[in-house]
Amino acid sequence: MAPDQEEDPKPQFPLDSHSYRILDEIGAGVSATVYKAECVPMNSTLVAIKAIDLDRLRPDFDSVRRETKTMSLLSHPNVLRALCSFTVDRRLWVVTPFMSAGSLQSIMSAAFPDGLPEQCIAVVLKETLNALAYLHKQGHLHRDIKAGNILVDSNGSVKLADFGVSASIYDSSSVGASSWSVSSPRLMFTDMAGTPYWMAPEVIHSHTGYSFKADIWSFGITALELAHGRPPLSHLPPSKSLLMKITKRFRFSDYEKSKKPKKKFSKSFKDMVGLCLDQDPSKRPTAEKLLKHSFFKNTRGSEFLMRNLLQGLPSVEDRYKASKIANKNIVGDDDEDDHGEPTKTRRISGWNFNEDGFELDPVFPHDPKLSDSVGAKRVCFGGETIIPNLQLNKKSGSIESSEEAGHGRDATVAPVTEKMESGETDVSGELNPAVKEAGKEQCGNRKEFPVVATAMVKEAGQVEGGSDRNSREDPAIPGPAVVDGGETVAGQGRVGGPVAVAGGNITYPEGFLRGLVGLRNSLYEQEDNVSNLIAMFGGGLSREAQLRKELEEQRINNLRLEMELEVYRLLLSPSSGR
Amino acid sequence: MKGLFKSKPRTPVDIVRQTRDLLIFADQGPDPRESKREEKMAELSRNIRELKSILYGNSESEPVAEACAQLTQEFFRENTLRLLIICLPKLNLETRKDATQVVANLQRQQVHSRLIASDYLEANTDLMDILILGYENTDMALHYGAMLRECIRHQTVARYVLESQHMRKFFDYIQLPNFDIAADAAATFKELLTRHKATVAEFLSKNYDWFFAEYNSKLLESTNYITRRQAVKLLGDILLDRSNSAVMTRYVSSRDNLRILMNLLRESSKSIQIEAFHVFKLFAANQNKPPDIVSILVANRSKLLRLFADFKTDKEDEQFEADKAQVVREIAALEPKDSA
Repeated sequence: MAPDQEEDPKPQFPLDSHSYRILDEIGAGVSATVYKAECVPMNSTLVAIKAIDLDRLRPDFDSVRRETKTMSLLSHPNVLRALCSFTVDRRLWVVTPFMSAGSLQSIMSAAFPDGLPEQCIAVVLKETLNALAYLHKQGHLHRDIKAGNILVDSNGSVKLADFGVSASIYDSSSVGASSWSVSSPRLMFTDMAGTPYWMAPEVIHSHTGYSFKADIWSFGITALELAHGRPPLSHLPPSKSLLMKITKRFRFSDYEKSKKPKKKFSKSFKDMVGLCLDQDPSKRPTAEKLLKHSFFKNTRGSEFLMRNLLQGLPSVEDRYKASKIANKNIVGDDDEDDHGEPTKTRRISGWNFNEDGFELDPVFPHDPKLSDSVGAKRVCFGGETIIPNLQLNKKSGSIESSEEAGHGRDATVAPVTEKMESGETDVSGELNPAVKEAGKEQCGNRKEFPVVATAMVKEAGQVEGGSDRNSREDPAIPGPAVVDGGETVAGQGRVGGPVAVAGGNITYPEGFLRGLVGLRNSLYEQEDNVSNLIAMFGGGLSREAQLRKELEEQRINNLRLEMELEVYRLLLSPSSGR
Repeated sequence: MKGLFKSKPRTPVDIVRQTRDLLIFADQGPDPRESKREEKMAELSRNIRELKSILYGNSESEPVAEACAQLTQEFFRENTLRLLIICLPKLNLETRKDATQVVANLQRQQVHSRLIASDYLEANTDLMDILILGYENTDMALHYGAMLRECIRHQTVARYVLESQHMRKFFDYIQLPNFDIAADAAATFKELLTRHKATVAEFLSKNYDWFFAEYNSKLLESTNYITRRQAVKLLGDILLDRSNSAVMTRYVSSRDNLRILMNLLRESSKSIQIEAFHVFKLFAANQNKPPDIVSILVANRSKLLRLFADFKTDKEDEQFEADKAQVVREIAALEPKDSA
């Protein structure tokens, strides 16, 4: 127990701003700025000060309260502790030790754009894992493990930082299950927190919640990040990585493009990462267990990092200035990759961690080559949920124009349209592109079952009420919520093929139609959600909690409707087989 | 010794008893035989961690209701909670955290569908005094504060604290320079004034004068941004709660209160302005405005209307806009009643 604890008495740092002299800005986020400063009365000890703009936070300040509390009650050599925190007018200053080499993300972008040498990675990961094992033993989830939150000091020591979204399973207020009873013993979280690229699949859309193993996934992604210089999918903007990566065929363009000879990584490294990236959280090892993995045998110490990582590195403040200039030049090229392969979106049912290529590969459903491949770990996203490309289409028209994909679909879809019109539903055409997915490749595949094309579905009650609301809108086109192996058509006023029934002419149960309306309505909801979410990534943390809650509700409702649809699919499948 | 215990798995009751014995030992002050003491303190830490794992379960197993009930019963059968609270400063950081979590959990454990923790605390309210005074001790504040917040979930305990002299201390605690501690005290203060509706309403009615005098001068007119911000938000929550309608009516009839709220409306902080508006609207919407309130509103009519003209929330908020429109209507329609 003793060796992993830091029991030195905490010197009391002064609680007034005049005792600190700000030297330089070394980081900035949406509502916080980080400074390098010295604490004058403490022999001008260097410190980092995170100045959080309180006016942008909700008035209960629960999030910052938990963050500072966590940071002042944790005590471990690999965890960045808060020396003190106090308010300076509208800002909260959180004073921490100054980690002069900055974050690994910053170190990589300055000196190791293609990733670190494996021996350095081992040191960093082992130290991080020590921190993680400690946190988990304490009942804390970090929930935001990534290179940007792993800091290095000039002596090569490594500390895990940023407890802004961390949570404790013992803290009733953070679990949400604050009921007075002793229920919900599973110690699970359901709110979505973290940074998209690093989020475990069960965090993004699990119906059952997640726990410590979500940190292990993020740890695995961080390992890939350290190895390649950036996390998988990072060529997509975060909102897309979060919501759309599942629908998009994506390539590891970044990893593939680099012309340099492929880096060689050891078998044990690949194996270790593979264990972390198991889709089934229960199969991922605990932090404690992972520490015993062969990859962490004979790991070098902090001196090794000092010599091999920090030599010749520009100072944190200089790197920050450089990155600020660099960022100015690349603003707004977010959407670029969308124009690349416009129509070839395919459904991906999960990820394969490709151990040989040391990458995450998408898994396409019914792709015998991939799903049969041995040695690859099959990563399936639970609900087979596909999140439509709403925001994208809304913003830039129908980028993924599906004209070609629409070929040959109209005939099949037409009868359906008539049925729907006579029914109770209508949908405005704009939404259709949102539902496209399930790429061309699958068009001919008759065996494909219909795929639910929405991830967040409003609950049944709202479904029915919602049809009134929408009847005000542009009538005519049926709601394309369910898509088959084919594709919904994008353009205005085109018909969204609601069901994959080849040959059409099927009588739809009334409830099914209602389900479609519900799904369609949910897409409106979701559209709002997605734009909110994107606004949230762009700025404004204040509504984060509320949005998380909404997302969670949507997820639950989604499950309910998915199950309902599954029933209908079963009902319909014999006719479609004919 | 250790081997003996391992051979026969200890029951939850055994662990509580042993913990109690060790706490009694820890309480007795430093032992001359230093090494022995260290060993016992380590054993105490292990026991407390074990209690935690029975109550919360661990990665391998879920908590077992029967074991939890036995543990809880034994814990409150004697003065274990008192010992634990008193000895807390003598424990190391990790054990303090474990102990806090154990105490928190015990508050929710039912034995024969009774919250026996509540019964125990009702008979031992002086423990609350220790916990509250913990805010004055930097090292203990967060641990005692967390325990306190769990304890005041019991209505009788909350009533004791509300009616105690300690209530006045919170006005200072929530402005302590140490943010962690001040924020913890503020969370407790808010809990005390919002959780048990009927109790709060009774407290506010009985203690109206001193409470709101303090609230206005120390919190709403504090020089500290975060204090004003939290206070005006909490004030809105309190006054808008149906159970406090009598208090609300009284509050919005005072011209001093109106003056303070109008100053908050003029703050440069958008967030404070918005929160202040939610209280200010009660003054304006009051259908029985006393003449001096009317005259203040009339005197400031044009300024207020100008202020509201470009008063917006960051995110579109229909309710806010509706409230604003109503306030504007009310103010625009005001006729000076007095001068009779």
